[in-house]
Amino acid sequence: MLCALLLGGCSPGDDDKTPGVTRLSVWAHAGQAAERAVLTEQAARFNAGQSGIEVDLTFLPERDYNAQVQAAAIAGELPDVLELDGPYLANYAWQGHLQPLDTWLSADIRDDLLPSILAQGTYNGRLFGVGTFDSGLALYGRRSLLEAADAAIPQDPEDAWMAAGFDALLRRLASNDPDGAVLDLKLNYPDEWFTYAFSPVLQSAGGDLIERENFQTARGVLNCPNAIAAMGRMQGWLQDGRVDPNLDDAAFVSGRVALSWAGHWEYRRYAEAFGDDLVLLPLPDFGHGAYTGQGSWVWGVTTHCAAPAAAVRFIEFLLKPDEILAMTAANGAVPATGSAIARSPLYREGGPLRLFVTQLAGGYVVPRPQTPAYPVISAAFRQAFADIRDGAAVEEALDRAVQLIDRDISDNQGYAPAPAP
Amino acid sequence: MSAATPRCAGWLLATPALLGLLVFVALPFVLAVVLAFTNLRLGSPLPLEFVGLEQFRRIFTDPAFTRALLNNALFVLVVVPLQTLLALALALLLQRRMRGRVVFRTLFFLPVVFPLSLIAVVWVLIYAPGPEGMMNSFLALVSGGAWDARDFLRDPWLALPAIMLTSLWQGAGFQMVILLAGLQAIPGELYEAAAIDGAGRLQRLWYVTLPQLRNTLIFTVLVTTILAFRLFDQVQIMTRGGPRHASTTVMFEAVQAAFTRQQVASGAAMTVVLFTVVLLITGLQRRVARQVREVA
Repeated sequence: MLCALLLGGCSPGDDDKTPGVTRLSVWAHAGQAAERAVLTEQAARFNAGQSGIEVDLTFLPERDYNAQVQAAAIAGELPDVLELDGPYLANYAWQGHLQPLDTWLSADIRDDLLPSILAQGTYNGRLFGVGTFDSGLALYGRRSLLEAADAAIPQDPEDAWMAAGFDALLRRLASNDPDGAVLDLKLNYPDEWFTYAFSPVLQSAGGDLIERENFQTARGVLNCPNAIAAMGRMQGWLQDGRVDPNLDDAAFVSGRVALSWAGHWEYRRYAEAFGDDLVLLPLPDFGHGAYTGQGSWVWGVTTHCAAPAAAVRFIEFLLKPDEILAMTAANGAVPATGSAIARSPLYREGGPLRLFVTQLAGGYVVPRPQTPAYPVISAAFRQAFADIRDGAAVEEALDRAVQLIDRDISDNQGYAPAPAP
Repeated sequence: MSAATPRCAGWLLATPALLGLLVFVALPFVLAVVLAFTNLRLGSPLPLEFVGLEQFRRIFTDPAFTRALLNNALFVLVVVPLQTLLALALALLLQRRMRGRVVFRTLFFLPVVFPLSLIAVVWVLIYAPGPEGMMNSFLALVSGGAWDARDFLRDPWLALPAIMLTSLWQGAGFQMVILLAGLQAIPGELYEAAAIDGAGRLQRLWYVTLPQLRNTLIFTVLVTTILAFRLFDQVQIMTRGGPRHASTTVMFEAVQAAFTRQQVASGAAMTVVLFTVVLLITGLQRRVARQVREVA
């Protein structure tokens, strides 16, 4: 199937070079089939809609996408336009593979973008990438079960449950539950989920993965007393048996748990299972506000591209409200611009997933640190979280993560940004 | 001239294979050794620096890596003898003429044909925590209800043994086939002669089968040892090295370093250590095996 799509996507590129036409090679991750189909159609629409630029789309498997792109970068064979995973943007920019887009992207589009999209795409003060959609992270709950446990249902991140109240709620829910496991943290998900989903807990507690002024150290931030306390609280949920291991990814839909800590991508499945009984809730507040996750795939223009203006025209095409809505209809993500959100049945004012927009637009999200050290930061935090889950002393686990992160930063001379190209 | 020409032709004919060996085996290995003494980070724009033994100092002070070495050693010490014995037992059973022999051979060999990743995923389900998990309910049944359900893959004492069991189940079929071939090469006259001399079944096994199977056994033990040191797939899929490094291995740590953390130099240092250990152990095994032969 992928083959067919690849062929379908590439067929216009196999013709001989036509003079006066700018040809752009584009690499994208092969996500779900629906996403691939939409992007293939979008490239075809773009090619048909004007005559000066010809886009040639290639899909790479999602699983090892970053490794493949890194290999291509080392071999000097990057495409003109590259889709990349948001948290890796700083890494590519530091390596000198991305061109800043600030001067090219039109002001209208820029002003229309969600602040989270701009935050994610900015490294060293310049915009290196934009996404056409963002992700949303929140708690899904069963209204009936929550009301049976006397929980007030928060409508807005401002009235999120405080962590202590959340603890008490878990206990009350557990007393109505046959196995006492009432919360799904998607422990079955692979690596990056843990940083994406649980680093907001650090920020909500007043800590972070790393200091965000200069991204030079994690000491006193990742292992500050508040962060240790918050992670200790999560360890408590796990050790008290409140969390379902969710090996089958059906903890919520099969009714085993009342709450699921999950992303926008689960909405369709959850809504099908529970209809009106499904509520979307902000994550609990660990003392400094109900922070949550953000970030997804972004488009960047590589330094290999000789025609950045043309490349940006393609990206701007993908950012048209109709195109954004076509993509987000396929993958369920949050549209990246205000004008697209206003037309989205799920995300517009009063839509069932409006909370995600409130969070992304209202400053309740923090991007994963935009530093080339991110792969190490994420690996260190994931290891710490896994150790904490397995009963390690929280402070020790976080101290070790701090050590790993700080040593990597000093090994790389502070990841000083390369001079602007 | 006439003597030199065939030699030239020999080299000429061997060139493609030698080139392949050089480019795909020797060069990467030499590179790994060289990189282990540098600070290389994947895709870094910083200049490459030689840091001497720093990477080695670091990995040997890293509790995860030392635990990985220990786990590898444990895994080899347990799995190699057990798997060889199991394979030998299976081979001896299946060598006899009996109905359905081919079916059993196929069944025992089947796990070898499946991709390791698939097998690991299936065993994750078998080890599912809670009393409904297949392994838990089986053990409860066998023990008459005395078994308390455990979360095998997240238990510091059971994670590595769980992986060992999976590997035994998966790998035994491969050695079984090799040993079967070895068994079939033993001349029947030897057994007849032994029988005439009044040797019982156990004596025939001890004095005829095992000595005749010696070289095959040495080969399977060597190969199993090397494969056991490369343990990675099961760890990656079943436990990710956890809980708290209880099931990590050198290969797993090297991949984590080089590809997850992008610290290629550190990963290279780990593989160099692994290579040295494997080389030493297989060298030792060969020497011991040769001495035994000389004595015999």
